This record gives sequence, C-alpha cells and structure tokens, in this order.
Amino acid sequence: MNTALTTAAAGMEAQQAWLDALSNDIANVSTTGYKSLRVGFRDLLYQSPGRGGAEGTLTGSGAAAEVFGQNFEQGALEATGRPLDVALTSAGFIEVAAPGGGVALTRDGNLQIGPDGQLRTATGQALQPPVRIPKGVDPEEISIAPDGTVAAGKRTLGKIPLVEVTNPSGLQANGENGYLPTAASGPVKAAPNARLQQGVLEASNVDMANVMTAMTEAQQGYELAGKAVTTQDEVLAVANGLIR
Amino acid sequence: MDSGLYIAASGMLAEMVRQEQISDQLANVNTPGFKSDRATQAGFGELLLQNTQTGAAVGRLSLGVEIAETSTDLAPAGIHETGEALDFAVEGEGFFAVRTEAGVRYTRNGQFSTDAEGNLTDQLGDPVLGANGAPVRLRADGTVAPGDIGVFAVAGAEKQGENLYTGNATGAATGKVRAGFLEESAVNPSQAMVQLISSFRALEADQKSIQTIGETLQQSAGQVGSIAG
Repeated sequence: MNTALTTAAAGMEAQQAWLDALSNDIANVSTTGYKSLRVGFRDLLYQSPGRGGAEGTLTGSGAAAEVFGQNFEQGALEATGRPLDVALTSAGFIEVAAPGGGVALTRDGNLQIGPDGQLRTATGQALQPPVRIPKGVDPEEISIAPDGTVAAGKRTLGKIPLVEVTNPSGLQANGENGYLPTAASGPVKAAPNARLQQGVLEASNVDMANVMTAMTEAQQGYELAGKAVTTQDEVLAVANGLIR
Repeated sequence: MDSGLYIAASGMLAEMVRQEQISDQLANVNTPGFKSDRATQAGFGELLLQNTQTGAAVGRLSLGVEIAETSTDLAPAGIHETGEALDFAVEGEGFFAVRTEAGVRYTRNGQFSTDAEGNLTDQLGDPVLGANGAPVRLRADGTVAPGDIGVFAVAGAEKQGENLYTGNATGAATGKVRAGFLEESAVNPSQAMVQLISSFRALEADQKSIQTIGETLQQSAGQVGSIAG
C-alpha cells in the first residue's frame, strides 16, 4: 500500500479538524461567556520508508489535530443595564445544577427569576446552591455585590456561587454554554478571589479577525494536503502504467 | 537482463519515498514548531564496465539510486502572537523538554495545557520541565512565568512523531521563551509544492525508461530472435 496517500490524507483530516473548531467559534461569536476552542497540532510517527530508502532514513506519517480545551481569555464586557445580568471580571465560574444531576460551571451570567422564584441561567439551570428571590421583590431593586452577594435593599437574599477548578483546560463543554468538571479538571472549589459585575454581560471571546485569518490558513493547508493526495493518486497511476 | 531496467526501477522507488516525505511536509504546514525534512538521494554502488574483447575500461555504470539520508533542518522559524496564555514559543535556538513514559523528550511546539495537579503539560498530558528538570508549576493566578520553562540545547535531535524529538540535552540553550506566542511551521508551502511536482515528473521519466527498455527487449525477442521464412 502506498503510505504517502494516507500521509497526505492525514494532513487533510488535521486541517478539517481545525476548520470544524473554527466554524464552532464563528457560530458562537454572539454567545455570552463563550470561550474559543484551542486546537492542538502534532506530527505523526516517523518510520522507515522501506524499499527506496537506505537504512536509517525516516519519513513522517502526516499530521493530526484535535481540540484540547478552551482559551479562557476574558471576553469584552457589554453593559446591558439589566439588574440580573452579571459578568465575571476574573477567572472562575458560576456553579449551577446540571440537568442530569451533579453540577455544571458557566460564565453566562444572563440570570432570570424562575417560576419558583429561584435564580436560573438563560438555559433554565438553577444556581447551586440556589438563590431564591421572594415574591414581591422588584428585580430593579436587586443589587449584586462583586463577591456575588444578592440583596434587595438592605435584605441579603443569598450569594451567587463563584467557583474555580485547578485546570480549566480539563473541563468538558456540556453543550448548554457550560462545562462539566472531570478528573482532568480537578474538583470544583470555592473561588474567594472571583469578582462579578452587575448590569453587564461577558461577550464571547471569539475575535472575528483572528478566526478569519485562521480560517484562511486552514483552508490553504487543506488545499495543499488535497493536492498531495491527488499527486499520490497519479503516482499510483504511473506505477500501474508500467504494464500496458 | 538489462541492468537499465533495475536502475530505472530503483529511481521510481526512491521518488516514491520522496513523495511520501513531501506529503508529510504538506500535511504539517500548520503544525506549530514543525521542522522541515530533506531527503538526499545517492547512487548505491557503481560497476566498472570493461570492453569484453580488449578488456579496456569503458566507464562506470551506476547500479541504481536510493534515498540515502533524511535530515531535519532545525533552524528557528518565525513566531506569531496568539494571545493564549498557555501558548509558548522558543525565540531562537533550543527545545522545551517534556517527561514522557519513555523518558525525557524535546519539542518546539509550545501548545501547552495544564493538569489537575497544576502542572504545565503538553497536549498529550506529559509534564513540561523547567531548567532544573522538575515539572513546571502553575502560579496562583493560573498562568506560567515564561522564565520557569527550561530551554535545552539538544545534541542529535531526531524526530519521533507527536511533536517530540529524541536526543541528549547538553545544557541550557540561548533561546528565550515567549508566552502567548507560537512558532510557525517551517514548511515553505510553495517550495514543497515545487518539490512534489518535480519529483513526480522524475518518477514519470523513470517509468518511460522502463517502458522503453521493455520495448527494446521485446524487439530483441520478437524480431532478432525470429527465424526468417
């Protein structure tokens, strides 16, 4: 079998993985608190090419690329004036109850008051531990302190749980603008240094100019690897052409 | 048999190895810190031809060619800013070191991550080492000081895949670590494309030689050998 063909095809696959991640970033350019994906590239095994190469010669087997975490750079703050909008201005997350049990972490601070009076995220997940807003409290009088303390006038109603993990790169995205802790991320613990700002939301940290540049590079890489695949096909045609 | 047949066939095999090597270059145009390789072709022995009647030397005849050597150009490539705190580049000479299960390996790809214990790791989770050979730890704010990461001069660096090189560290290198930067792949796409095309045309020429020699043999067998009648 011609290994050059699989080597070239591996290159196409790697660029495709990058394109997929970039498309995901573009789709989330307006998602509150979204963190862009990091794509790691690596070359593959180097081995002896067999006939045609002397002993000690090595040829590589192409490339691979995969998403290995997020870029947790702070997103821009956008003022909304809505009292229940909060943005983290530091590292850390808001802890919410995950739909399937357990906890999830999010940086989307677009909070709502649920039918049961609990503060919930835009996707309906309650804060964990919950914060209940009593009936009759006007959302306009709610104030949220930088440490997460929720108060109505002079009355303290609860505290938005601010947490962190040792290794955010190990978190697993849960598809609901949040992350699930894993063994790689380490356990969820309180984040005493995390800070919130009321009346603002954290925009997605996807930078369109960067993404577009990356997209062009990925596309060019894909074309080059594609050209290599076509050429390897022609190489095989030439070899087959020996017998007429 | 006609030795030209074997010489041309060895040429085809050598070009096919070259095709494989160039395909690998093209697959890695976007792999940070990737270093380009070069395949050197050489004849594998020569035969001194002699006139069968007088015994006088006629000249030398090659017995064929092969890819005699593959080498990696370790010259530093350009670096560019990514804004990601865990991306690192060595500006200048030297390698990052990571501790793998098989021992310490070296890399120029600084797309690093972290683990649950707060160590800086490479993409595959192997700890990145400081100048003292101990794993690099994250600081309290989750970042890594570029100065904590060791840069090693490596003798006999040889690629093994997964961005890693084998070799022996011979002390600190002159290169400086830059956080938020990555080193670009050293592959020059247009150069690689030109190599791919010219190697392909050489392969075609070898094939034509084989076909021509084949026709010659056919004529020897068909015409010279036929009994007139």
